[in-house]
Amino acid sequence: MATNTEQIPDSTRHPLRVTWDVWAAMYLREMIARTMADRMAWFWMVFEPIATIAVMIFFRAYIRGGRSITGAEFIPWMIVGLMGFYLFREAMTRPMGAVEANRGLFTYRQILPVDPVLIRCFVEGMIRSFIFLLFILIGSLLKINLIPDHAFGVMMDWTSLWMLGVGLGVLLSVASGLVPEVGRVVKIITMPLLLISGVIFPVTYVPAQYQQYLLWNPIVHGLESMRLSFFDNYHSIPGIDMTYLWFWALSTLTLGLVMHVRFASRLKAR
Amino acid sequence: MIEIQNLYKRYHGPYGGGWVLKDINLTIPDGVSVGVVGRNGAGKSTLLRLIGGMDAPDRGRVIRKGRVSWPIGLAGGFKGTMTGRQNVKFVARVHGIKKSLHQLIQEVQDFAEIGKAFDDPVNTYSSGMRARLAFGLSLAFDFDIYISDEATAVGDRAFKAKAREAFQQRVDHASLIMVSHGEGTLKQMCEAGIFIDQGQAHWFDHIGDAIEAYHQTTKVITDVADEDDEEDVPVEQLDTDSLKAKLRSLKREMNELHKQQIITNYRLETTTDEMEMASLQEEKQYLRRRYQQARKRFKVLKQHKQVSTLTTQTPRAE
Repeated sequence: MATNTEQIPDSTRHPLRVTWDVWAAMYLREMIARTMADRMAWFWMVFEPIATIAVMIFFRAYIRGGRSITGAEFIPWMIVGLMGFYLFREAMTRPMGAVEANRGLFTYRQILPVDPVLIRCFVEGMIRSFIFLLFILIGSLLKINLIPDHAFGVMMDWTSLWMLGVGLGVLLSVASGLVPEVGRVVKIITMPLLLISGVIFPVTYVPAQYQQYLLWNPIVHGLESMRLSFFDNYHSIPGIDMTYLWFWALSTLTLGLVMHVRFASRLKAR
Repeated sequence: MIEIQNLYKRYHGPYGGGWVLKDINLTIPDGVSVGVVGRNGAGKSTLLRLIGGMDAPDRGRVIRKGRVSWPIGLAGGFKGTMTGRQNVKFVARVHGIKKSLHQLIQEVQDFAEIGKAFDDPVNTYSSGMRARLAFGLSLAFDFDIYISDEATAVGDRAFKAKAREAFQQRVDHASLIMVSHGEGTLKQMCEAGIFIDQGQAHWFDHIGDAIEAYHQTTKVITDVADEDDEEDVPVEQLDTDSLKAKLRSLKREMNELHKQQIITNYRLETTTDEMEMASLQEEKQYLRRRYQQARKRFKVLKQHKQVSTLTTQTPRAE
């Protein structure tokens, strides 16, 4: 066997360089896995949200009736809410399986349990953003008013929702790695989250004295803020505050990363 | 060079127990190949994982100077839905290889010899093909220290011979830390030895001494250094199931030996070197002897099986 292989720059590589190489390799791997897993994976990636949104709109429009939203058209309002919520949900739940799914990779000591988690969060955000842009494009072609009124504000809110999902995702990836039951509980909780986050029913429908409890949920802040940026004339409930969301996002992210440092070897070892 | 200082390791969780490794201090110098021996469960693989950085010690530390490989031939990191080529690319990228990526892929491809399957998903591979790919991948990188957990025990006989050869080439400018129960392999590949017993590691400058110490504690006297030296249990003590299993394993062993004989014969015909010729002759004799032994045992067991099935079936017929 030829021995003129390139010297592995391992001993001379800076730790940040190693991390970067790992991330670059894992990003490509994760992207291939997401888009090429089976022959139609890329198709379902785009079609699945379309189908779920269509079903949701059908339910809301023809079963429950009452499609009046103050200051916004019903279908764009719904699409914005669902896309935002799915971004959050996927960024939160996808990383939970990341450590377990990439267990085999820890034979390469360059790879730490936090790497697949962060990469999944990133890939998820990229894919969701791409799909959202696709929706806006197709919606505009279909004369559905999906052009945001304040594009920059929407981008900020979109990023905020993503960060909220990433923070919880990183935290839960450690928690479910240490206590596997956490994963199940979270999966049970995400369904009612759809209802109490004002995704399909406007939060303004909730009686005024209960609205303060609704505001405990950081997702409501994110979604309502994004709708406010999207539709100029939209009216939401008072008390929407992005600082509250960022408080959640950053504290969970910090706690999650600290736990990743603390429990790295235990996550690896299982 | 690898320095191990005050290393403690135990496994946590519901099934974790006491210390697997207790206060281990070792220095493995550059360019010295080391064989690790010890009972099953003594902590050989744990030590190897710690040296390779795949696991963290509870106390103490491992200082690695130089590039240390992952355990050779480990196929755990392959993603089933990706092709062999994609998996190889991934590992190369993780190790920071950019310029000579294509050259490296070519080398792995040449070594693994799995043909067009290189571009098929790893899911579709047989275990032997996986092992070939994994082994080729480990050898394509230029490490200073290779670590190996029963590495040469993969693939068919021809591939094993090739792997061993490639390995020995490597040992010239790199060293090896290996765990194996095959004493022949250990003696062939390693100079020094580590014997692990009751959580303690003992260093020996010669692998022979380490193996000797191992035998002293287990009170097993084996002068034939051999991979699979099973003790022959008297036929009468075997029940039907274990008899069947034994027959099957003997059959397999005979097949293997037969294959090896063919390879040796072929090498005898093609070789021109006299030294090699002599050693091959020796090997041939040895293989023949073992084959005959296995066949004799097989016949005895088969006879016994026929008798015992007859005796067990008659009462049921009544």
